[in-house]
Amino acid sequence: MTSEPANTPTQRAVENLAWKLRRRQIVGSRATALETLLVLRQVISKSRFSSMEQLVTIIRAVGRRLVEAQPKEHSVGNTVRKVLHHIREEYHTATKGTAIESSSGFSISKFVLLGQPRKQSAPAKAESKGTLKENDPDDPDSFARSLKPVLMEAIQDVLDELETVYDNVSKSAPNHIHSDEIILTLGMSKTVEHFLISAAHNRNYTVMVLETAPSYGGRDMAKTLAAAGISTFLVPDSSLFGLMSRVNKVILGAHAILANGGMFAITGSLLAATAAHEHCTPVVVCAGQFKLTPLWNLYHEYGALDFSDPSQVLGFEEGSLVDKVDVVNPFYDYVQPNLIDAFITNDGDHPPTSIYRLIKETYDDEDNEL
Amino acid sequence: MAATTTSTNETPAASSSQPSASSSQPNATSSQPSQKSMSKAERRELQEKQRAAKLAQKQQPQTGDTPNKPKAKPKTDSAQRRGSGAAEKTQSSGVDASAMDIETATNKSRSLRIFSHFGLTKHGHGVKGDIHPCIIRLALQFSEFRICGANARCIATLTAFKTVIQDYTTPPNNTLSRHLMTHLSPQITHLVSARPMSVTMGNAIRQLKLEISGSDIDMPEQDAKDLLCQKIDDYIRDRIIIADEVIQDLACKKIKDGDVILTYARSSVVEKVLLSAYKEGKRFSVIAIDSRPLLEGKALLQALTSAPPVSWTLSRDSLLPPPPPIPCTYALLPALPSLITEATTVILGAHSLHSNGAVFSRAGTALVAMMAKQHSVPVLVCCETYKFSEGVMLDGFGKNELAPSHLFQTSAQTPNLEILNPLYDLTPPSSITAVVTEVGLIPPSSISSIPMALGRITL
Repeated sequence: MTSEPANTPTQRAVENLAWKLRRRQIVGSRATALETLLVLRQVISKSRFSSMEQLVTIIRAVGRRLVEAQPKEHSVGNTVRKVLHHIREEYHTATKGTAIESSSGFSISKFVLLGQPRKQSAPAKAESKGTLKENDPDDPDSFARSLKPVLMEAIQDVLDELETVYDNVSKSAPNHIHSDEIILTLGMSKTVEHFLISAAHNRNYTVMVLETAPSYGGRDMAKTLAAAGISTFLVPDSSLFGLMSRVNKVILGAHAILANGGMFAITGSLLAATAAHEHCTPVVVCAGQFKLTPLWNLYHEYGALDFSDPSQVLGFEEGSLVDKVDVVNPFYDYVQPNLIDAFITNDGDHPPTSIYRLIKETYDDEDNEL
Repeated sequence: MAATTTSTNETPAASSSQPSASSSQPNATSSQPSQKSMSKAERRELQEKQRAAKLAQKQQPQTGDTPNKPKAKPKTDSAQRRGSGAAEKTQSSGVDASAMDIETATNKSRSLRIFSHFGLTKHGHGVKGDIHPCIIRLALQFSEFRICGANARCIATLTAFKTVIQDYTTPPNNTLSRHLMTHLSPQITHLVSARPMSVTMGNAIRQLKLEISGSDIDMPEQDAKDLLCQKIDDYIRDRIIIADEVIQDLACKKIKDGDVILTYARSSVVEKVLLSAYKEGKRFSVIAIDSRPLLEGKALLQALTSAPPVSWTLSRDSLLPPPPPIPCTYALLPALPSLITEATTVILGAHSLHSNGAVFSRAGTALVAMMAKQHSVPVLVCCETYKFSEGVMLDGFGKNELAPSHLFQTSAQTPNLEILNPLYDLTPPSSITAVVTEVGLIPPSSISSIPMALGRITL
């Protein structure tokens, strides 16, 4: 940020988004990811830099600002990391710096090394520069000028991925939902909604939607599904265990997928996943890959999570109770990887055990801490 | 007063049944023109489906309404029949059915059939004999959920029966022991038509039948009636009130200072246990978990937070400040996994006990017990032995009850969308640590020996 004077339009855009995130005017992982990406595009197109390091520093600074504004929206940080990863990739191909030597033959040692692909290619940076000239004292903008078009393209790729995420997730829906099955879902998740509706095009099945107190997102979900012609049952959260014995599959949405294969999801997800586990019912999570987060959650039950408005649980109409009782309304659950059977993403289906590899492929290790 | 509530309740139920009947009927009947092209088996299958759909349609509105007015009922039915008949007429002359229509019709009837047994209530259509006014009032209270909970319903029923018995006169050429039961059974049928009978009521009525048939023929009528009322009072006292006191004592021993007790919804016994432990001077906190449709936990909170610190402070030095009220935390069921880590003991109530050790209880109880088991928190179920029911139960799906839709429906009717509110679920014995009964704290595996513990030799 040092190179930029304050109060430029770009900086205002960043601040604007940061405040919107903080005030929760923008919520939901996809919405925040999209906004972040648009701001990043603006930042890159407007900023001046003469070397790769400068560009990375600028983007990181923006990313840090946004993540600090709303640390619970993990997709903001994920988008920044992804953009950084793409930028580096474009840079490496542009400089023709021997990206990753095509591995000849397969060996387990190479496979282990490939687990850290960035580490390997990092020294390549110092080598041949190709046509790009970094830190050219005569023409400091030449680097930016030659690189910007490819960077814009890279960002456009990420944007396209985000915009098509629902369609790509629901592509495999008919493989997962079969005729006459009873599917249980909860909360309001756009991804799950698209998944179920696209499955309804060629399958005839029944959905049970938990109301998901206290937000009651399930009611909206049930209405949308019913409007799409799916036979839908809206049931209260309490009936979960009783009905689970007749449920064939539990389909959940995610807020963020963690590196160990667990996930943050709306409250009620953990209860549903545990009940499904008890009945040996498969639990399937539908989520875009922008929710992959290089984070771990080993020690928190709900300390790392969010709380929302207690008046949804015990409103002021219960006047005599409100001041005598503690009301707890956590917003997210942490669902352990052992309770999840599969993640259906916009890029194939993955078991929770391979999430770490996806994360290694999607982001650069040095960006885990922005 | 009863009549006015009846009519206001009836109208929405009737009017809501009307469009749904006519909307689904076309789907089923619209396939008729194409019937000729079907094979015999296909035709039979279709007929079966239509019948199931019709049955389900009929049940849907009826689970909700308050059926203690046999006069209003036939009207609804005939209106429904007329409506569906009209729809049929218009449809059969109409256009041929698209495949999609059949598809949705079959789909609907199929999904309904899974739940069709839930709200199966016998209706007081052909109730013979007169219904006592106190039974009519009680039935209303049941169906409106003013009286709710296994104990409360059982006590209310028995008290009402006492009035019925006192107002009964044996007709000439008959004996009380033979005739009284025929007088009572329509009353019971009427109560059941308001809301399915609870296990507790079933057990109590069985006991009452036994007493009636065993009453002495030679006894003067008033004496026999008084004796029966006395027996009823004894039953309430021994099996419910005293039993609750014993359970309070036993469960209180499991509550220590500094404990965090987690409970679900509201059970009268659990409430008594918590209050008596508080009166004993134990300092613990309570996490009350609650869920729709009934949200009974709020009533528990009300009772716990307004607990007067009476005898405890008076018996001590007057300089001592009154003890603080029970610290309570309230959360809805989805928040349970976050709170279960803080609990030291889970205390739950029950609707009935089954001989395989399973506990049939308010919907959501099984989830609480499951989470507690996962976190190694002991689960105590407080339950009087008169809630014991012979026979095993394997899951909460086979036998259940739906909350009446007119009381708990939250949104307007939409096609394809059904709102179900099951009231009960079954907690498997594996997630229960012990059942607190008046015969002691027993593991769920020993529930089958309860009749033996009560001195019954034949199982």
